[in-house]
Amino acid sequence: MGVDWLTGNGSDRHLFLLAVILYGVSMIYSVFLWRKGFRRDDRVNFFLLLGAFIFHSSALFQRGFSFNRCPVNNLFEMMMFFTWTTTIACLSMGLMPKLRFIGAFASPVLFAVGVFALMPSLDPPHGDKPVFSGGMESLHAATIMLAYGLFGLCAAASAMFLTQQHNLKFDKLRAALSFMPSIERLDKVATRLALAGFILLTIGLAAGGQLPHRESVSYWKETKVLWSAFLWLLYVGLLFCRMRGIVTGRRFAFGLIAVFVFLVLTFWGTHLLSVLHQP
Amino acid sequence: MSIVVIGLSHRTSPVELRERFAFAENRIPDVLRKLRGDGLATEAVILSTCNRVELYIATPNEPAQAVFDLKSFLASVQAQPMPDGNELYTLHEPHSVHHLFKVACGLDSMVLGETEILGQLKKAYDLALQSGHTGARLNKAFQGAFNVAKKVRTETNIQRGSISVASVAVELAEKIFSTLEGHEVMVIGAGDTSEKTARALLSRGAKSIVVANRSYERAEVLAKDLGGRAVKFDDWSQEFDKVDIAISSTAAPHHILDTAKLEPIMKLRRNRPLLLIDIAVPRDIDPEVNHLDNVYLYNVDDLQTIANDYLIQRKDEIAKCEKIIEEKAKPLLNRDAGYVASCAKNSPETLQA
Repeated sequence: MGVDWLTGNGSDRHLFLLAVILYGVSMIYSVFLWRKGFRRDDRVNFFLLLGAFIFHSSALFQRGFSFNRCPVNNLFEMMMFFTWTTTIACLSMGLMPKLRFIGAFASPVLFAVGVFALMPSLDPPHGDKPVFSGGMESLHAATIMLAYGLFGLCAAASAMFLTQQHNLKFDKLRAALSFMPSIERLDKVATRLALAGFILLTIGLAAGGQLPHRESVSYWKETKVLWSAFLWLLYVGLLFCRMRGIVTGRRFAFGLIAVFVFLVLTFWGTHLLSVLHQP
Repeated sequence: MSIVVIGLSHRTSPVELRERFAFAENRIPDVLRKLRGDGLATEAVILSTCNRVELYIATPNEPAQAVFDLKSFLASVQAQPMPDGNELYTLHEPHSVHHLFKVACGLDSMVLGETEILGQLKKAYDLALQSGHTGARLNKAFQGAFNVAKKVRTETNIQRGSISVASVAVELAEKIFSTLEGHEVMVIGAGDTSEKTARALLSRGAKSIVVANRSYERAEVLAKDLGGRAVKFDDWSQEFDKVDIAISSTAAPHHILDTAKLEPIMKLRRNRPLLLIDIAVPRDIDPEVNHLDNVYLYNVDDLQTIANDYLIQRKDEIAKCEKIIEEKAKPLLNRDAGYVASCAKNSPETLQA
């Protein structure tokens, strides 16, 4: 499927574009919330994300139904899937009033990744057989994208933690007036999301290891495999240090954000360098 | 028939006067019966709290006459001379209804926006209702007051935030810990504010209190009072790795806790968050400890600033509350004006004419 904005072929991209526009509006609105210090419960951002989610889901399902399989066959689809899981997790958590503002922290990531995903070169036409076809391939790709989505949300919760923690120390009035949850709760949320993401990443990588690969490709020298293993080790290290009380609070939050930034910045490059992941 | 209010409150009279006119709860039904029996009121409710004593009545009499009669009644039933000054206030419609609504919303309370008064008002109304001393007029007015209070609570910030040092400390503790349950509190120096803060923390679920004071006897007394345990003043730092919240208010002329002392303790605590509340002047805790990871330090100025800001916010909400009260009182007063007119039309005198 090529990018055809004029005919119906690209209508899933149109829908995704609308979702990205709403993520952008949500991001701008979040700036105002930030400046006001999150002083009162605000549902506007939640509903903006909900609107975006509806367009996003329509785009995802339209693309998925056109292949009759999970739409994670190229970089565009992967990013669309990864941001979708982040949004659904954001909305689920946003049902709890105290965690409603997590969307304000997630929307800049959703917008940035969404804009990048819309680059036409990231959505090349599929061949006869998409890269990820079959049950195990879908499991591999879907669980890893879900894991990335959870890591994204985990980074958003960590950013919330750092904001509230900084205010509690140095801008006490702002902290007292803010409607954000306690930092202990944010720390728990971030840890659990990281743990859940880590479990999904492990399942996804294990499923990936079971997939048949070309004889000519050396599995343990493959860029994406090495990168994934490194990412897995980073999360293992962070979670281990957290459980042992070696890295806690601010340092743990910075660690989660740093690893996620690393993930986002290197994902595309390693994917494009990967022989295994090219059609 | 109009609603008349007579009373005295913290705004107009000192406690020495208010206590002389206060009604014990078990006396109220008899007083209400007498009030109606004497023909002074058709319906009546008595609100008697530590901050106010008020009689709300519905009467067909002229307001000026009703006020005069009520004053005499109050003086005789309480066997007290009438105050000479402006301590006793009297209000008739529409001000009486507005006053009732303001009281229900906490706008007339000593602590602006507090909610305890609403419960007291409901209790006073229930007592009169159960004894059959209310009718259509006061029922509508009181139900209206409860509805307004609910609307004000949901649509304005009049009740948001804490305006005492102790409750601000609790609020901040709840911004750090998701729940205070299971967290141990240490009180270093048994002062009045630290005791209040400790009590507030206990009321929100804090696990237990450890008290350290220069006078061990005083520490024991306070610990017993708070259901905690006392430790010798020199031993307080040995207990520090177990506590999550510490309130300090000693008379020490120097810092009793600094970064060098706290850093090894934080390692022992495996970097769990620690809330330090320093209400001593001069300060007990070196401000530099606030730069340690997972340590949150608040001094008395920090807490007072937050409390003051909340109060300013509440005051800013008064206009919004009064607008709601105005809106809600208008239909009630208009409807009752119609009701009064129809009563007048159907009164025996009118019918005879």
